[in-house]
Amino acid sequence: MKKSFWMVVCGMLVIAITACPLFALDPIKVGIVDCYTGPPSTYTNDVRDAFQLACDKINAKGGILGRKIEFTTRDSKFKVDLGLSAAKELIMREKVNLLMGTINSAEALAISDLCKTEKIPLLVTFSKSDAITGEKGHRYVFSMNENTSMAGKAAAVGLSKKPYTKYWIGGDDYEYGHAIADGVWRNLKKLKPEVELLGQTWWKVGESDFTPYITAMLSAKPDAVIIATGGKNCVPFLKAAETTGFNKRVPFYMHTATELSTLQPLGLDAPEGVLGTSNYFFYYPETPENKEFVKDFQQAYGRPPKVGALYGYITAAFIAKAYEKAGTIDTEKFVDALEGMTVDSPVGKLTIRPYDHQVMFPMFMGVTQKAPGYDFLIASDIVTISGEDVMPTIEEIKKARGQ
Amino acid sequence: MLPANKIDLKMVLWVVGASLLFLCLPQLLPRFYVYLTALVLLTGLLATSLNVVLGFGGMYQFHHAVFYGVGAYSLALMLTKSGLPAWTGFAVAPLASAIAGYVIGLICVRLSKLYFGMLQISLGSLVWAVVFRWYSFTGGDDGIHGIPIPKLLSASHGAYYFTLVITAVSLFLMYRIVNSPFGRTFQAIRDNPERCEAIGINVRRHQLAGEMIAGFFAGVAGMLFVAVEGSVFPDLMFWTLSLEILIMCLLGGWFTFFGPMLGAAIMVTLRTFVGIYTEYWTLILGIVLMLLIFFMPDGVLGMILKSGAGRRKDSSVVTKA
Amino acid sequence: MLEFFSHIPVTSLLQQILVGLSRTTILFIVASGLSLVLGVLRIPNLAHGSFYMIGAFLTYSVAAFVGGKAGFWVALAAAPAGVALISLILERGLFCHLYDREHLMLLLFTFSFTLVFGDIVKIIWGSDFRSISTPALFQGSFSVFGLSLPRYNVFLLVIGPLVALGLWALTRKTRIGKIARAAAVDREMVGAVGINVSLVFSSVFVIGCFLAGLGGALVAPTQNITQGMDHSIIMEAFLIVIVGGLGNIWGALLGALIFGLTDAVGILLWPQFAIVFPYAVVVTILMIRPKGLLKSTW
Repeated sequence: MKKSFWMVVCGMLVIAITACPLFALDPIKVGIVDCYTGPPSTYTNDVRDAFQLACDKINAKGGILGRKIEFTTRDSKFKVDLGLSAAKELIMREKVNLLMGTINSAEALAISDLCKTEKIPLLVTFSKSDAITGEKGHRYVFSMNENTSMAGKAAAVGLSKKPYTKYWIGGDDYEYGHAIADGVWRNLKKLKPEVELLGQTWWKVGESDFTPYITAMLSAKPDAVIIATGGKNCVPFLKAAETTGFNKRVPFYMHTATELSTLQPLGLDAPEGVLGTSNYFFYYPETPENKEFVKDFQQAYGRPPKVGALYGYITAAFIAKAYEKAGTIDTEKFVDALEGMTVDSPVGKLTIRPYDHQVMFPMFMGVTQKAPGYDFLIASDIVTISGEDVMPTIEEIKKARGQ
Repeated sequence: MLPANKIDLKMVLWVVGASLLFLCLPQLLPRFYVYLTALVLLTGLLATSLNVVLGFGGMYQFHHAVFYGVGAYSLALMLTKSGLPAWTGFAVAPLASAIAGYVIGLICVRLSKLYFGMLQISLGSLVWAVVFRWYSFTGGDDGIHGIPIPKLLSASHGAYYFTLVITAVSLFLMYRIVNSPFGRTFQAIRDNPERCEAIGINVRRHQLAGEMIAGFFAGVAGMLFVAVEGSVFPDLMFWTLSLEILIMCLLGGWFTFFGPMLGAAIMVTLRTFVGIYTEYWTLILGIVLMLLIFFMPDGVLGMILKSGAGRRKDSSVVTKA
Repeated sequence: MLEFFSHIPVTSLLQQILVGLSRTTILFIVASGLSLVLGVLRIPNLAHGSFYMIGAFLTYSVAAFVGGKAGFWVALAAAPAGVALISLILERGLFCHLYDREHLMLLLFTFSFTLVFGDIVKIIWGSDFRSISTPALFQGSFSVFGLSLPRYNVFLLVIGPLVALGLWALTRKTRIGKIARAAAVDREMVGAVGINVSLVFSSVFVIGCFLAGLGGALVAPTQNITQGMDHSIIMEAFLIVIVGGLGNIWGALLGALIFGLTDAVGILLWPQFAIVFPYAVVVTILMIRPKGLLKSTW
């Protein structure tokens, strides 16, 4: 009696163990390392939330290859060492299939280097350094957002159609600012050789009062000014521009000036007529796909999506489609599948360029304007600059990589 | 000072046991924990090097991370830019930090306590600002990544064993220094600088030497960081990191030799595992720190030793009566 | 030296100096509070920056709650008061038990508050950028001799000296100020003559933190109110206090002037390394005068 009881138990156990994988395959695990503390979190929270939204949708439809997609986040607090050890923890301990993140360029580059040796795909969201897919690009790193050279090129394309010739450049005195300014100017000079640079102004990182710089730039009487400032500086810069009447005297361009994260905090205090570029607006393009995405996001989180939401959303879409195409969760096949892949997104079809693993984002150039129904300024007169036009050429990438 | 043979034997047993454990670790634990141990060791070395001047010298070393960063950057730059054989980089890194310690020390040792600390913070921030800004040389705010580390180290547990050996040797050297005649004078200066001055000890020179020793070993830790992580970035010499190292010393107990090592171990492990469950690690750290200052100002090891001091009065590890 | 300036238009130099001065105001208000606490209580209060940040966030919340034109003015009064209240609770509840500890302990203790407050601000106010409008009275700018001066900056230029005067009166003319100064020099003596030292310490701590909150409230209309404001101000404030002389209010003013101006002029002269300038100046001053420019109370 006793013996047969144990026999039954053992038999059941054996069946349970062998049957288990038939019912539920291991989930696909995504690890996100990003900064969720401090000013950058206003951007990164949207990436995570939209990614969550997309994952829920995918899982509701039966997951990827019959597997659930799961993700876990680590807060790096904008510190490279924390990010790097969190990435190692995710790879070695959590055994994630792939990594996502981060907004900090130094961190993204450090993790990218780790992923190269560990052979784990890294889908970069929000770091705008063009070295990620340029100079330091490799097989396992993909960029899911625009970068400084794309922004520069987009701005140059837009500005070359304007009648301005005498320019002044002002920007944040760190990698991002210089990269944007350099990108705009190099490309603008190429597209319109008669442009002339009257001078430059650089302010230190953490500068909070831009009035003196603005008045200095105005006194040189340029036709237009290129402002290469980013992140949390955008808000006080636009405020100072409004106070000094900058926008009414000289037109200026600032990458991300039209982004929601910049304009929403300012309310109606933001200056009108500022030229800006962005990858995404929740009110543009007015396609059914975008409307649906905005509706879903709004419903889930009670706020309209910012540009980061697009990055998070398409990253999930790319992951799902690449695994489906590869037909297996093998990393190498996944990477192969991702190269050259196209997905539908709220801003239309998006493709990863096979050579450098950069998503070819179209860029929207618009000017800030008050609009009925909004208690903050929005972008209007939007011109779309196509992905092909903003991408650095493959020759440029080769040159950056020293090939 | 190892007075009794009994303690000697105990120590030997401890050392042999610990080294066996650490040597076999990669065979026993998954890869991540081996990496974490390496991180703990090098961070512990950094904290111990700070404690040489802080706990044993009574100097307000507020910006110790600078020496760590200088060591890390020296190695990174030697490996990526100089074209010299890799070992020269490993030799240069601690020396560069010792020189940095000498220069910063030369300027700071004239002052005492809070002034010393604040001047050091400004000097250190100056170094940080230059590193942060000098794109063509240091890589600026992006840092340097993908540093070509010698094959021997980048191979499966190479970096761990390298860290283990170097840390052990460094700890041994620091222990000897702290317990040498120089170390005793150094501690006497901490307890009563005026009297030491009066009996003819050159306080400044001793403090300067202490600063160089601390700088040297912080540089060794920085070098190990590069060997383990393969990256350098300006965060390595930002002032907030310096405060974190101070917390490690406090946590473990800064009047004990091994306290900072324990503090670093607790802190690195907690940070890693708390970070898995919540993004409010700093909140937790803040509360832990508050409780610590209120209830355990001697640190974990300090308290253990104190409670054990009744049984074992001649504890050679406790340095302050 | 003049040659060095020659390529820079005089107007932009003047402009730069004027705006540098209005930045000095904020730095002075924050640093003077820090200096007061450091001088009298001997607490190197790293949490001072957190009080500044909380002041700015409270200003945002109160201004948004009250709304309209009066919003900012109500907030300007309420936010520093709120910060003062928080600091009173902390002083009575925690700090007063630790006065006899080493500076290093106190430094780390206040650091633990910056850690905790950083996360509390994140929990309460979230991660989005915040901004409040410049009060209607001070929108736009004055034009003087071809210089364009934002009205709000002019307002700051007026506030700065007022606060300095107020502090001077407080420390020189009031009983509590006199006791505080005496306590800064010799704590035991003051206690020995039967004065309630802990009450004095408490008031000084609260006044110091009030100033941090005031700085935060005043800076709110010109800045992006975000997490991380605490880190950027605290180091500058500390350096100012050290350069000026620990615990010396006029030293804080002098230090703030040096900081504000070298920063502003440094940007014009050598923009690539502007970030290095303030630190270089502090190091130079401390190498020549290790105890700061003015007499320290220590």
